[in-house]
Amino acid sequence: MSEAAVAGGEMASQWILEVRDLKKSYENGRIEALRGVDLGIAAGDFLAITGPSGSGKSTLLHLLGGLDVATEGTVLFRGQVVGKSQSGADSIGAGSIDLDTYRARWAGFIFQSFHLLPSLNALENVQVPMLGIGGHRHGREERARALLVELGLESRLGQYPTQLSAGERQRVAIARSLVNNPQVLLADEPTGNLDSVNSAKILELLAEIQIRHGMTLIMVTHDESIASSAHRHVRMRDGRICN
Amino acid sequence: MRGAGTVGWCSSWKGAEFSKAHTMRLTFAGFAWRNVWRRRLRTALTLCGIGMGIGAFVALVGFSRSFEHAWLEMYESSGTDLAVVQKTFLNTSVDQSVGPVLRGIPQIQTAAPMVINMMAVTPELNTLVYGWQADTFEFSALQILEGRRFRDGQQEVMLGELLAGSLNKKVGDSVDLQGGSFTVVGIYRSGSALEAGAIIMPLDEMQSLSGMSGKVTAFHVQLKPAPAGTSTAQWKQEAEDAVEHALPGLRAVPAAERASNNQLVVLAHAAAWGTSLIALLVAALGIANTMAMSVFERTREIGVLRAMGWSQRRVMALILLEAAALGLAGGVIGVALGWGALHVLASLPQTASIVSTALPMKTLMDGLLMATIVGVAAGSVPAWRGAQLSPVEALRHE
Repeated sequence: MSEAAVAGGEMASQWILEVRDLKKSYENGRIEALRGVDLGIAAGDFLAITGPSGSGKSTLLHLLGGLDVATEGTVLFRGQVVGKSQSGADSIGAGSIDLDTYRARWAGFIFQSFHLLPSLNALENVQVPMLGIGGHRHGREERARALLVELGLESRLGQYPTQLSAGERQRVAIARSLVNNPQVLLADEPTGNLDSVNSAKILELLAEIQIRHGMTLIMVTHDESIASSAHRHVRMRDGRICN
Repeated sequence: MRGAGTVGWCSSWKGAEFSKAHTMRLTFAGFAWRNVWRRRLRTALTLCGIGMGIGAFVALVGFSRSFEHAWLEMYESSGTDLAVVQKTFLNTSVDQSVGPVLRGIPQIQTAAPMVINMMAVTPELNTLVYGWQADTFEFSALQILEGRRFRDGQQEVMLGELLAGSLNKKVGDSVDLQGGSFTVVGIYRSGSALEAGAIIMPLDEMQSLSGMSGKVTAFHVQLKPAPAGTSTAQWKQEAEDAVEHALPGLRAVPAAERASNNQLVVLAHAAAWGTSLIALLVAALGIANTMAMSVFERTREIGVLRAMGWSQRRVMALILLEAAALGLAGGVIGVALGWGALHVLASLPQTASIVSTALPMKTLMDGLLMATIVGVAAGSVPAWRGAQLSPVEALRHE
């Protein structure tokens, strides 16, 4: 499926992301992480997913972000099936986007533990996603620099992750997640390793980015107060959505 | 949480202008090299291993190739067109009595019998010794620096200038060979290391010393000029056919082929390649181990790359590039080590006569190419395994 087709949304749908009867199990079905989730997420939405540990919220986020493949069911991005699933693209009459392309072009990830590469400085870390898809190297550096400056890290460009504070690391990770202009930003407990001051700053920043860039933001969190500031709030329990 | 509006700490572009002075472009190759260089000690040790392997290859194969080249140089400078030798490999001597038959072949101008052997001139030093007739055409390649040619039937020798220097001998001194004392009557210069570090003595004396009465190692043949209308190659082929027709059991080989196919060169090549392959195998295991460890340690980072949209092929290319960089860097070290080893060997009296420092460019290129190929081959399994990692599983890796 071409990028233009995906960007335009060949199949008319009110949802930018949609999951249908999504199931995920491990160890030959012994552990069921998701037991049939149906969910639609509109473009520009800010969706918070909460739930106790083991409820399946991170699994759902991974499937929405194309980091993992569902055991059953379908993830649709602008009407196109993301990756392969048992129900398959043909059975629902949709085209498909391969997982690598989806992750590279359309989805950006922010992790709780930042996952910056220790051998690269801040500016280089932000260039990594662009390096995965090629492109002109001058453009890469300029784009990464502009994002880091936008996030207030202009004096930290040459610093390595160990030389950055936790809040600064998460801001570098946010810049990295934005660098390929994704349409969906997925954040897995982005404030989980931050103190309250930095948590507030990061949440403020994410909300700002979500509005300014018109992105869809999906955030997994334990914190009900964070979830309450989202446009939509989904609660999960035992692999199902319970609200 | 605030909604729209200016983010509190978003800074001005002033800082950006300041930081533009620092260029930090991340390239694919630069990223690969950064990964290789992260574990400096391990990388350095791996490079040492590859360097030793490639160094052994360059030194040994370089030696055997330069040995072959020296033979070719010797034949070409003396004007030898063909060498007539036994067809068999183990029994290599030829009856000297076939000389008149050879000289009777229409294409042949002259056929010079010769014997070659390795002898001890001191307890520590072995050198090549040639037995020639005093009137052989092969003297044309030598420049006599001191003294004169030897005379047939006399216990006289001529020394190459390299050997004379090593032994500190001059005209009038004597040299002991196989229990006999020989007078040095001449010091000569030759463009071939095989002659510059050698001894040349009368054929009959050499046959006596080697227990080869009536036998020679080969006949070196000069051909008459090719007649008009016949190419040199065709003329040479006719001569070869005529020799083999007149003397079944013997064969005539062009000088270049003789240089590459004589027993000493064949053995040198075989020993060099055999030893080098073992050394290269050890180097390959070193790279494979380093890359496997590197991929294991970086499992989570590979997961990050995959999460950022890097394809399996891209991840594999990165790891293979790292392995190739290791191999190539080790190859550069190895080429330098091999070149140094050849120079050391060429400076030792024990080996100077058979080692040339003229390292063929092909050997250097082969060394670098083999190092890179070994790197890529050794890195292919770790690269494949790294690329197969699921992003989620890799991110969970502790």
